[in-house]
Amino acid sequence: MKNVLAIAKRELRSSFNSPIAYAVILGFLLFTSVWLYFVDGFYAAGQADLRGYFSMMPLVLVFLAPALTMRSWAEERRLGTYELLLTLPFTEGQLVAGKYLASLALAAIAFALTIPVPLAASLLGSFDAGVLAAQYLGIFLEAAAALAIGQCISSYSKNQVTAFLVSALALLVLVLVDKPVRFLSLGGAAAAFFNWLSLSFHYDSFSRGVVDTRDLAYFASTSVLFLYLAAWGMTRRKWS
Amino acid sequence: MIEVRELRKSYGGVEAVRGVSFGAETGSVLGLLGPNGAGKTTIMKVLTGYHYPSGGTALVDGIDVAEDPIAVKRRVGYLPESVPLYQDLTTSEYLDFAADARGLEGAARTAAIDRAVERCGLGHVRRKRVEELSKGYKQRLGLAQAILHDPPILILDEPTTGLDPNQIIEIRALIRSLGQSKTVLLSTHILQEVEAICSSVIILNEGRVAAQGAPSEIGEALKGEERLRLRLKAPKGLDQARLSGIPGLRSVSSFHAEGAGVWAAEVAMQPSGAAAEAGPGEAGEAVFDWAVASGIKVLELERRRLSLEEIFVKLTQEGEGK
Repeated sequence: MKNVLAIAKRELRSSFNSPIAYAVILGFLLFTSVWLYFVDGFYAAGQADLRGYFSMMPLVLVFLAPALTMRSWAEERRLGTYELLLTLPFTEGQLVAGKYLASLALAAIAFALTIPVPLAASLLGSFDAGVLAAQYLGIFLEAAAALAIGQCISSYSKNQVTAFLVSALALLVLVLVDKPVRFLSLGGAAAAFFNWLSLSFHYDSFSRGVVDTRDLAYFASTSVLFLYLAAWGMTRRKWS
Repeated sequence: MIEVRELRKSYGGVEAVRGVSFGAETGSVLGLLGPNGAGKTTIMKVLTGYHYPSGGTALVDGIDVAEDPIAVKRRVGYLPESVPLYQDLTTSEYLDFAADARGLEGAARTAAIDRAVERCGLGHVRRKRVEELSKGYKQRLGLAQAILHDPPILILDEPTTGLDPNQIIEIRALIRSLGQSKTVLLSTHILQEVEAICSSVIILNEGRVAAQGAPSEIGEALKGEERLRLRLKAPKGLDQARLSGIPGLRSVSSFHAEGAGVWAAEVAMQPSGAAAEAGPGEAGEAVFDWAVASGIKVLELERRRLSLEEIFVKLTQEGEGK
């Protein structure tokens, strides 16, 4: 655990010493606020409802998560620090977990900074704190899965641009994969499969204030799977 | 202590190391010498657990790298050739990370960081960001990271590249002093470096050991002959053919007139065996006897030691000839 924390600490230090983390978080806040007040028409609706705000989060994550993870391994490769990390007494699992923890912390900071939005909205009307908590939990869990996917893709990428583009594309597919179910009115097994695969489908119930263990299981297992794949690839490269 | 037995490593079908064996004891500095692509870096990457061997074994303090890489990594301090540093951290932040990675805590941690900073002369750049450091300071920071936890084994891949002559002297002195209590394995393609700091040397070529031993031993073993540089004064004139009168002469590699009655020559003599010490031995004696008998005066006689450079070229070319 100490090793995991050492890696996470190093990651966060680098992030906050460089302008990238600030830029990403600021961009996220700006975009979501602009969306809420101008595109979604929060005031025009005349209703203290943040459903619209939270339902666009999966799409925002398509860009936020890759922006936070694109550097994780691709940058280590470019700097050669990949070799440093792999020759320090860390296991591959600890390296992946440390980086993951740091990216979760950055995402948590970004989400925490949106809290003024519901706070301001609560002045306009009464809010169900339970629903809000579920919405935040949902978005955090979805981010957790997206960051695992992003890190995994970064670990197989040579540079951060590739890592960003491939991760964003993969997330976009996972966010939109349940949409054909509605458009094409698919049914049965196909619908169940596409829905099961979709990040946004599992997030939807959270955004309605419902916490379902199946969704929790989906996000947890997706995260673990991709982190495992990242560590597995690293171990495998040592033998080849 | 490092022990490598019949080590092999291939990357996607290309064999970078083809059956290398060697050992290094505590209190010694072993130099790996060879042209680029000879397998020096690959051997180091195996010993530091970055790559696992394709065949053979690599033991560090008796621990197999492939079996317990973490235990090996704890004992090893490693400076990779690329000197990997986090550009956006400061010197202290970087060493702080290294200390975390080594699990150093409390007073021992502070002492370790201070000692590494002092030994590598990083005192006045502690607050500077890595990206602002000069090449020399980056190299020293990399070295500070490697020695931070006072490891019994130190593996340094081309530790003096990119340094200016003063820095090279400092770093070499540091490595020499570290080598008194640790096992140091370093790679280089600078031959003077081997002569300056290594207690033994392995010459690698195309993934194989071309020669190994003490730097001076390698010279002796390869010589097989003794070279003498002569300046001769012969008032009655001299030609190359007359040199063949020297007992034990093997060949004349150069011969030319230098001025009135003075000739310069370089000759190779039969090895004079154990007598080949610092000064001209029996071979020199033979030249003197011949000169006196022929009415020639020896103005200068210098025994030429084959430099590692020449040995190196000789060995690697022999390898290519196969």
